[in-house]
Amino acid sequence: MDTQTQAKWDRAAPTFDLMAGKGAEDRWHPFKQELFSNMDGRVLFLALGTGLDIPTFPPGKHITALDISPKMLEVARPRIEAYDGTIEARVLDVHELDYPDDSFDQVFTSCTFCSVPNPVDGLRQLRRVLRPGGDLYMFEHTGSRYYPFKLMMDFMTLLTRRIGPDMNRTTVKNVQAAGFRLREVNNLFLDVVKTIHAVK
Amino acid sequence: MVYAIEVDMDSRIFFVFGDLLANIAAGALAGLLSVLLTATGWNMFLAMLWAMAIGMVVGFVLFFPFGVFFGAMEVMLPVMFTGMMSGMVLGMHKAMHPIGWELAAGYGALVGLGCIVLIWALNALLRGPRSYGAGEGG
Repeated sequence: MDTQTQAKWDRAAPTFDLMAGKGAEDRWHPFKQELFSNMDGRVLFLALGTGLDIPTFPPGKHITALDISPKMLEVARPRIEAYDGTIEARVLDVHELDYPDDSFDQVFTSCTFCSVPNPVDGLRQLRRVLRPGGDLYMFEHTGSRYYPFKLMMDFMTLLTRRIGPDMNRTTVKNVQAAGFRLREVNNLFLDVVKTIHAVK
Repeated sequence: MVYAIEVDMDSRIFFVFGDLLANIAAGALAGLLSVLLTATGWNMFLAMLWAMAIGMVVGFVLFFPFGVFFGAMEVMLPVMFTGMMSGMVLGMHKAMHPIGWELAAGYGALVGLGCIVLIWALNALLRGPRSYGAGEGG
């Protein structure tokens, strides 16, 4: 278990919803709802965080949801209980998934790979537990290819890395580096906020 | 092109209002502080770099109150860009000629308005799906 990352998100848990719970979630709600409407079969979701994504899940699903931070999942508890379906929430590091190969039909991520310390290794773990032909659906923010945004996000990452996510990740390239085949990348804001669909 | 901008930009009025408010405020404050913290007669290039840094910090700080209500990256990147541009314009102006704080804030607000319109246009160009057919990579 990456205790450093766990401690970072445990510290962020009590105030996480204050910053992320209103503006960002309202803005992203329709896009997340559309992405998560693809949920079907054995679904793995990460990172659950404080459960802000749960209202955008389609009803009646059985979802295995992971987060590295037990404090985050404590905050998420009321949202998990309010979901019209079942969410099995576990504290687990994406680098150390203990599921057998090919355990899931689909994997969903939401603002996760801005924070995973070794993103390609984490994505390889997701690929391992996904069945052949299974889908990876991601809602992520990444770095930008365009100046001055690229410069600004590199600068921001120096500050934000200590308390939260990186701002300059190359998640689309990481998905490919982990062995997935890209199906679609949909830019939602500039080339920074996007959904990614890839298959094993 | 006009059609593409109309259909692609986030047209929910609450967020349009938030974008405008955040960027006008960031532009005004960055312009004001750049003028206050730059002296007439400074080397213009150094004044530009200094004021851009001030503006970027102003944008970063303002992201927190505005971000709570209006979004994450959709607020952070525009207000930092606005702060940088407003600082650049007003810092260079002050290095060449004295300027009053009211005028500096007003010019800064106009820069903020210009920056958010530019970002909306850029967003209209970059937004949207790119398909990879049978799959690429792996």
